[in-house]
Amino acid sequence: MAISASTISSGSNNKQTHSSLGAFKFPFALSIALIILSFVPRVQGNVTLAWSFWGAAAGLLLWQAYLVFNSRNKNEDRVFSILLRPQHYIQAMVQFSVYAYWGYYWRPVYDHAWLILAQLIFAYTFDMLLAWSRRREYSLGFGPIPIILSINLFLWFRDDWFYMQFIMIAVGFMGKEYVRWNRDGRSSHIFNPSAFALGLFSLVLIATNTTDLTWGQEIASTLTLAPNIYTFLFLVGLVVMYFFSITLVAGMAAITLFGVSALYSAGTGVPYFLDSEIPAAVFLGLHLLITDPSTSPRTPLGKTFFGVLYGLGVFGLYTLLGAMGEPTFYDKLLVVPLLNLSVIAIDRTVRSIHSQALLNVWKESWLGGRSNLAHMSIWIVIFASMSFLGKTDGKHQGDSLPFWEQACASDLPNACGRMLQLEATYCGDNAAWACNELGAHYREGIIADANQELSMAYFSRGCELKFRASCLNLLDTDLVAREVPHELDLRLLLREGGQNLMTLSEQELYERACQHDWVFACENTEGARARI
Amino acid sequence: MSKSQDQQIDPNVSQVPGRTLGLAIMCLAILFVAVWMSFQSRQSESLGSAASSSSFEQEAITGFLNDAWFLPDEPLLGFVQIPAGPFTMGSNPALDRLAYENERWSSNRRQGTVEVDDFYIGLFEVTAAQFRAFTAENPDLANRVAADIQGDMPVTNIVWPEALAYARWLQQKLENSADTPAELRNYLAAGGQLSLPSEAEWEKAARGTDGRIFPWGNSPSKEFANYGSSTILAVGSRSCTECAFGLQDMSGNVWELTRSPLQPYPYNPNDDAQNLSEDALWVMRGGSFADGLGNVRAAVRGGVDPSVRNNTIGFRLVISKP
Repeated sequence: MAISASTISSGSNNKQTHSSLGAFKFPFALSIALIILSFVPRVQGNVTLAWSFWGAAAGLLLWQAYLVFNSRNKNEDRVFSILLRPQHYIQAMVQFSVYAYWGYYWRPVYDHAWLILAQLIFAYTFDMLLAWSRRREYSLGFGPIPIILSINLFLWFRDDWFYMQFIMIAVGFMGKEYVRWNRDGRSSHIFNPSAFALGLFSLVLIATNTTDLTWGQEIASTLTLAPNIYTFLFLVGLVVMYFFSITLVAGMAAITLFGVSALYSAGTGVPYFLDSEIPAAVFLGLHLLITDPSTSPRTPLGKTFFGVLYGLGVFGLYTLLGAMGEPTFYDKLLVVPLLNLSVIAIDRTVRSIHSQALLNVWKESWLGGRSNLAHMSIWIVIFASMSFLGKTDGKHQGDSLPFWEQACASDLPNACGRMLQLEATYCGDNAAWACNELGAHYREGIIADANQELSMAYFSRGCELKFRASCLNLLDTDLVAREVPHELDLRLLLREGGQNLMTLSEQELYERACQHDWVFACENTEGARARI
Repeated sequence: MSKSQDQQIDPNVSQVPGRTLGLAIMCLAILFVAVWMSFQSRQSESLGSAASSSSFEQEAITGFLNDAWFLPDEPLLGFVQIPAGPFTMGSNPALDRLAYENERWSSNRRQGTVEVDDFYIGLFEVTAAQFRAFTAENPDLANRVAADIQGDMPVTNIVWPEALAYARWLQQKLENSADTPAELRNYLAAGGQLSLPSEAEWEKAARGTDGRIFPWGNSPSKEFANYGSSTILAVGSRSCTECAFGLQDMSGNVWELTRSPLQPYPYNPNDDAQNLSEDALWVMRGGSFADGLGNVRAAVRGGVDPSVRNNTIGFRLVISKP
């Protein structure tokens, strides 16, 4: 959640003002820090990355020089005040805890730490210079931190393209500064800064078919490597809910997604999402991306609508993106700017409701006026129920290849497509069995259009992974040789969104495979024993 | 902060810059990103298509046809016919003291007799120039052969599936070219397929039908093969007119991949599709420049993982009927 500095109550503010041209020492020092940071080994390992740092620092220094020159000419001071808001640092701490936990199980997060630090330095300097260019006093606090951490929870550009990350941040802050409207008689920014930047760049990446320049797909799929990630996100989400009363937005979004997902499953017999009732990255987004109070409705009923619309939006976009053949992880990013745009309409709709009975339901009469605590209690009960039913961190049918094979054979809706999608993911993870199956599907042309070139590519990959059936399929183009997954394949296939099972003993592995409906594993003596 | 940002303007300053310029700069930044990404996307696509449409200019090599995918300038583009018939496979330790255990036919027989249909086999190992002609049309394999390797050197550092991909590519070229010699074209039209040799095809081509230990006879000779040395040589550098069927470098220079899985003798190609649960391991034959005498005998059997790249491993092709 990126909190707007302009609309938060200043009750607990600690404000101290500094003025004069000497204030320029601060952005100057930050720009130098950015240059110094470019000499750490992580950055020096890639020439483009290092040049991205130097380019960003040079841009900031030129901008400062212009402002100093202008200020001297016009004899104006530039002012900043120190303003510490709990909304910002509590958000930052929550986001930091997510990075720490996720990164413990997916190391690229920790490797990315230097780059996040650089983005923070860039963001502070850029935000400060932008305020001064507008001849506005700059409030120095923790504001940029949640924006940067929020952006990086969803999208990083790869090292060779890292200059785009700086541009994305710049666009986010410029959107906050320049794209504004008059809301309730006050000028305020329309879009959540991080969601604005993420949404715009997502559109560009989709339109130019350049998703592979980012880590977006990996980020979306590796959150589940951290055990019990849903419970973790739920718990840290409670902190945000308690302090900032965003329970209605986040809770309703989650409930809506759980609901429509369950309806879809009941109607079709197959799960809607692959990794859970709500993908982990969406669950993260509904706690930390859509809950900016300044870009969401103010009334309780409006917040409820907002949350419901987010849930429906993600559900719809997932389908739309999938149908277009685009990566589905953009669903949670594209919907937020659209919702931000609808905020005034939502508020207006709520105010037009003349039913006092309906409005009073949401008034602060709950729990002696402490309605947020009441909403939180309901959310806790709902999440606990979902967890009890195995709809969060538990085993999920959508991850199980035997389930999708069966569903595809039974011609259930989308089942064959989902099976191909899942097999492609596992083949990408070097599960040779999955590569061979994909090659077989594209050679047979039964559940996918026949494509000899693609089938040969998958068989080649399977063969290089020592899957003998794949090698035979390469030798004879009329053959479709199949074989059950090998031990190493099972260690990948059975992770089902979590950690690879490299340390599991062979016996435990086959027992687990049997429990996960791999019939051949049950025929193994140990597997059969496990089933009994 | 209770005031909006626009209300927090320094009172000493008379005029606040409007938002128009800022909005314009932001839109320009977004436009730049969109155009740049689009350009990059098109560039990577055009790089691929440029690679695929490129004739990939390579220098002419004496003895090879640069207008025929650098195949040898020979009557059958470097393919030599091996007539159908039986040959002796495996080793007899009584005659060949260097024989390994895995060359023994069975517990009660030292060698076996295998019938092989007629087929064609490459006179030389596949060269770097030939493989480059293939990779030039396949951007995914671009730069697979190091630029500093001479065109007439055997191609190495390729994996088993890539060798097969080259065979499929060359098959298409030969089938669709009007310049393909009639004998080869007819054989291909009758169901002939380019591939790696089977173990039996390779061994028959290497030792002929008289059961010799080396392609040239039963005595070691560094005159006919590059082994026990420190470097790969251009194909055909150790001219061997005494070798069975006149084939060059069947012993030494680089190990040659086959299409047979490494399984115990007796050799039976019908077994190839069995034991699918085992990891793939393919037979390679002939030894390399870096090997000693024991590994360059015609019956020696090495095993290689299909993902291995190594500068001692290459291949040659056959055209045979499955």
